[in-house]
Amino acid sequence: MIMSTKNNRILAPEGGRYPFKVSDEYFDSLTARIMEQIDSVEQECCEQTEEVPVQKAKLFNINKNRRRGLWISTISIAASLVLIATVALKFIPMPSSTPVEQQKAATTQCMQDTYNEDLMTYTMVDNVDVYYYLSAEDFEE
Amino acid sequence: MAKIDEQDILKRIQDPQGKRRAFEEIVNVYSRQLYWKIHHMVQNHDDTDDVLQNTFIKAWRGLDNFKGDSAIFTWLYRIAYNESITFLKQRKQMTSIDDEDFVEQANFVADEYFDGDDTQELLMQAVSTLPAKQKQVFCMKYFDDMKYEEISDLVGTSVGALKASYHIAVEKITSFIRSKE
Repeated sequence: MIMSTKNNRILAPEGGRYPFKVSDEYFDSLTARIMEQIDSVEQECCEQTEEVPVQKAKLFNINKNRRRGLWISTISIAASLVLIATVALKFIPMPSSTPVEQQKAATTQCMQDTYNEDLMTYTMVDNVDVYYYLSAEDFEE
Repeated sequence: MAKIDEQDILKRIQDPQGKRRAFEEIVNVYSRQLYWKIHHMVQNHDDTDDVLQNTFIKAWRGLDNFKGDSAIFTWLYRIAYNESITFLKQRKQMTSIDDEDFVEQANFVADEYFDGDDTQELLMQAVSTLPAKQKQVFCMKYFDDMKYEEISDLVGTSVGALKASYHIAVEKITSFIRSKE
């Protein structure tokens, strides 16, 4: 008896027998069953790893068949984009130059004005003379 | 517990040719002890069988990572303990009732593998009410008559904590049985 509730001793101090039993046949075949289980799990893993290249090969075949179509599509799209860009460049008014170039042009113009003023000083030509020459040219025309 | 040359087994595990044979030996030597350790927690033959198989499958998959830092049985036991905990959580979710209600319905006499009388059934019902860790410590101490040092090596808990755990388990079991008188 593991325990006696009559004398208030619930658990035997020396411990007790675990009240379950399993037949020896179960343990005799246990190792074989577990190894069989492991083999089947391993086989499943191998099959899964083998299936992956097959799937890849199928995908590769599909791509191969469609490769020509994909190339044609890609080239068509690229050609269309070039055509659209060319047409757009022709019809969309573009600024004569970039801001940097405009700045350079302004600077050059400014330098030319300075040059003219210097030239006028050296040649002793004042504004009245300039107007005179310009109006004379207009008159001749 | 059957003895096994662990160093020899470790060497053979590293060899792909001898790995399977070495693992078969491990299964052969330790499956019986491991079965009863799992049964302490799961307390049902069919479920123990499932958990035991899962334990060895996990061990096989993790065999390359086992470098012999602990004894083979300790390594197997810890896998089995985690598998048992996972199983108990799943079973608790499946029953969709709380643990106490589930334990109240446990009927060991109807279990064909139960080999005890009414008093032992009452004891097992009391053991069923314990948390997993306490259940393990109680069963290893009370039924397997293991020393605290041995249990400590196996479960990785200090001897002091194990003594406290066992003491609490005994109190709970005593209280449960008295409530049934």
